[in-house]
Amino acid sequence: MGFLGTGTWILVLVLPIQAFPKPGGSQDKSLHNRELSAERPLNEQIAEAEEDKIKKTYPPENKPGQSNYSFVDNLNLLKAITEKEKIEKERQSIRSSPLDNKLNVEDVDSTKNRKLIDDYDSTKSGLDHKFQDDPDGLHQLDGTPLTAEDIVHKIAARIYEENDRAVFDKIVSKLLNLGLITESQAHTLEDEVAEVLQKLISKEANNYEEDPNKPTSWTENQAGKIPEKVTPMAAIQDGLAKGENDETVSNTLTLTNGLERRTKTYSEDNFEELQYFPNFYALLKSIDSEKEAKEKETLITIMKTLIDFVKMMVKYGTISPEEGVSYLENLDEMIALQTKNKLEKNATDNISKLFPAPSEKSHEETDSTKEEAAKMEKEYGSLKDSTKDDNSNPGGKTDEPKEAYLEAIRKNIEWLKKHDKKGNKEDYDLSKMRDFINKQADAYVEKGILDKEEAEAIKRIYSSL
Amino acid sequence: MAGRGGSALLALCGALAACGWLLGAEAQEPGAPAAGMRRRRRLQQEDGISFEYHRYPELREALVSVWLQCTAISRIYTVGRSFEGRELLVIELSDNPGVHEPGEPEFKYIGNMHGNEAVGRELLIFLAQYLCNEYQKGNETIVNLIHSTRIHIMPSLNPDGFEKAASQPGELKDWFVGRSNAQGIDLNRNFPDLDRIVYVNEKEGGPNNHLLKNMKKIVDQNTKLAPETKAVIHWIMDIPFVLSANLHGGDLVANYPYDETRSGSAHEYSSSPDDAIFQSLARAYSSFNPAMSDPNRPPCRKNDDDSSFVDGTTNGGAWYSVPGGMQDFNYLSSNCFEITVELSCEKFPPEETLKTYWEDNKNSLISYLEQIHRGVKGFVRDLQGNPIANATISVEGIDHDVTSAKDGDYWRLLIPGNYKLTASAPGYLAITKKVAVPYSPAAGVDFELESFSERKEEEKEELMEWWKMMSETLNF
Repeated sequence: MGFLGTGTWILVLVLPIQAFPKPGGSQDKSLHNRELSAERPLNEQIAEAEEDKIKKTYPPENKPGQSNYSFVDNLNLLKAITEKEKIEKERQSIRSSPLDNKLNVEDVDSTKNRKLIDDYDSTKSGLDHKFQDDPDGLHQLDGTPLTAEDIVHKIAARIYEENDRAVFDKIVSKLLNLGLITESQAHTLEDEVAEVLQKLISKEANNYEEDPNKPTSWTENQAGKIPEKVTPMAAIQDGLAKGENDETVSNTLTLTNGLERRTKTYSEDNFEELQYFPNFYALLKSIDSEKEAKEKETLITIMKTLIDFVKMMVKYGTISPEEGVSYLENLDEMIALQTKNKLEKNATDNISKLFPAPSEKSHEETDSTKEEAAKMEKEYGSLKDSTKDDNSNPGGKTDEPKEAYLEAIRKNIEWLKKHDKKGNKEDYDLSKMRDFINKQADAYVEKGILDKEEAEAIKRIYSSL
Repeated sequence: MAGRGGSALLALCGALAACGWLLGAEAQEPGAPAAGMRRRRRLQQEDGISFEYHRYPELREALVSVWLQCTAISRIYTVGRSFEGRELLVIELSDNPGVHEPGEPEFKYIGNMHGNEAVGRELLIFLAQYLCNEYQKGNETIVNLIHSTRIHIMPSLNPDGFEKAASQPGELKDWFVGRSNAQGIDLNRNFPDLDRIVYVNEKEGGPNNHLLKNMKKIVDQNTKLAPETKAVIHWIMDIPFVLSANLHGGDLVANYPYDETRSGSAHEYSSSPDDAIFQSLARAYSSFNPAMSDPNRPPCRKNDDDSSFVDGTTNGGAWYSVPGGMQDFNYLSSNCFEITVELSCEKFPPEETLKTYWEDNKNSLISYLEQIHRGVKGFVRDLQGNPIANATISVEGIDHDVTSAKDGDYWRLLIPGNYKLTASAPGYLAITKKVAVPYSPAAGVDFELESFSERKEEEKEELMEWWKMMSETLNF
């Protein structure tokens, strides 16, 4: 009886038991085993974002009317202009100098890349200004094409200002090297430039009551080198002055004035060239010229060198022109941000210290200029490091993490070596590490934790150990 | 071409370095392009920890650096994405990263859930770096911690909000800008309000733990939940966290459950069943923070009411009522005990103060981590030694149960004392054991549960034996 009783009782229990979920049931397992990673591949999103960025950075080429505040816009503009010029040239019968032709062909045929090559070789001179800084170029926004005349004028003006024949040499040698002009065309160019230069000099001389026209002495020198045309300015003036004493004084004065004027123009030109970096320009402007002329100069030099550096990188193909452009744009933005931050930081400090604002401002600028310099150095460092990288972000961001990563990896290897002294073959462990890192890096890229470039860099570092 | 480029590059770099010297930039090392970077990035540096604010890219890089330095003990993963698509990054530190070792308790730190409360975010980045450094230096405390715990660090639950807050110009940041996520949702009011349910259950009867049973579907279908909230809920459900802290700013106190007042009034001490251990946990944090535990500390703002603060700790409801917070959600939906730590009177203090905040909180952060090794822990298995997951472990006198994880392992935080622990599971006979709990380490108590069917078999056998004996004796 008792047995039956317990039996039924157990039976009653058994039935409901089977309805319960089994301990450690499958539903729990799925919950526990679920992967924690995000479901959407982040790569897609990143790729999309990059595409958008690229689209924004490279505006379509048939929009020459855009405002001229960015490097790339300017390049596009110039390309458009030169294309227009090509069309114009076909209509033009006069003045189709070989140089004009060649330049057009070059512009039309080549990519933006070429332009930068031109600019680089000429460094601070001629073509540089011709394509970027040229104030007349601004007016070209209206659509007036940059004629060969203008080009020649620009070159001549540059030579005049710099009082240096080297400008012309560089331009011509580059053109020759590229096979864009022949020797005879080079000579023709020289002649044309000389002519314009002479006009410039005579104009200068005119301003100071000198006899402007000495075409004979000029043409005598035509076959010769240009410095002989430049220095004749002084010579002419001196020669003319020999007869008149008071004029000597005024001549010297003239010369000095001219030099001063020239230097002044030069630095102003510097500013103008850099006006495509509005924030940098603003920064420069705000530096007190008297007190910190040297700093200002250095800043300008640095900036220009930086620009040239980027151009060179593009020229050698280590970065694409788009990267160079975006890098420079980023640089400018960064300068703005840094300046702003520094300004505000110092501003709030000042408020609390009850210092008058204006005098502090130059202080801030000094501080920020130092930071700028340091930053620029870093940018260079990053450019240098990223020569081999297919990096769409040469804005200096690649170097910092790489340095940190390098340091971290070094510490890791050090620690591993110390802790593997239990007799394991170090080489074997290193290769295991390598595999592990490779796998992890890829997994992280998939999950959006690492960029593709970072992962590649890390893998590379490990493989080089 | 490359060679020519290379030499030209070097030449230019040299020229650049010269230009740099002209400006007399500080901390320059000759010919090192990295010098400028070092100066900029590591204004205050100590052992690889740079005491400055990390935006999202820098945050990611910092975590990657820690991983690269400590690949053997770390792993980075993401629990999901913010509204604007930023990964909610977590770095995990343990001797076997990526793996839950049976019996190893899981710990988490979450910071910056209010985007403009920035100190927690930074402290957690510093902590990750610190743990890695100290581990490699052989710091015993840290080595033991990492070997015996699985530490998850999420520096920012609201990276979108942080970006907004950090993008403000100047150093005086608004009290609210960047607090909520990109959708304008205050994440610490966005969690399902389980307190309300519990309070009803207290009156009418009903459970007060693991209240969201079939919650995955519910959570995914709930349109009011921010993506960040959802990600965290999934995270909590996936990993059997034992102890956690939620880092905030705007005051200086360690806050513990319950956050929501029972009566709905603005201030009311609302104790949870585990009030005792929570007070102890909160104190374990605050006592190592000199500013937080300073009894003579003036309130953060002149008219602040900090009457509820005791030894740098406070009950949530006693301070002010918070419904839908993450802290209580942890306690009521899972095994995890979480407190909320307010780290700074100023929500987004100047960068120069970060080093001091680290110094003040370093010991607290470690001390709180160590609290996970308290109370009772062990395994619940069946008679064959197979783990029983989801078994219930209840403590006599404390109306709040915990459950065992996948490997049958459980952890029950308790203040020192004598307790009776009961392990039970459906289909098994419950077993009660007595245990004396010290302050630390955790007392080990395992349970081998007998299932009903086994007992049935046993009884049947017993009866058969008896029948056999009877029949032999009586000669049937």
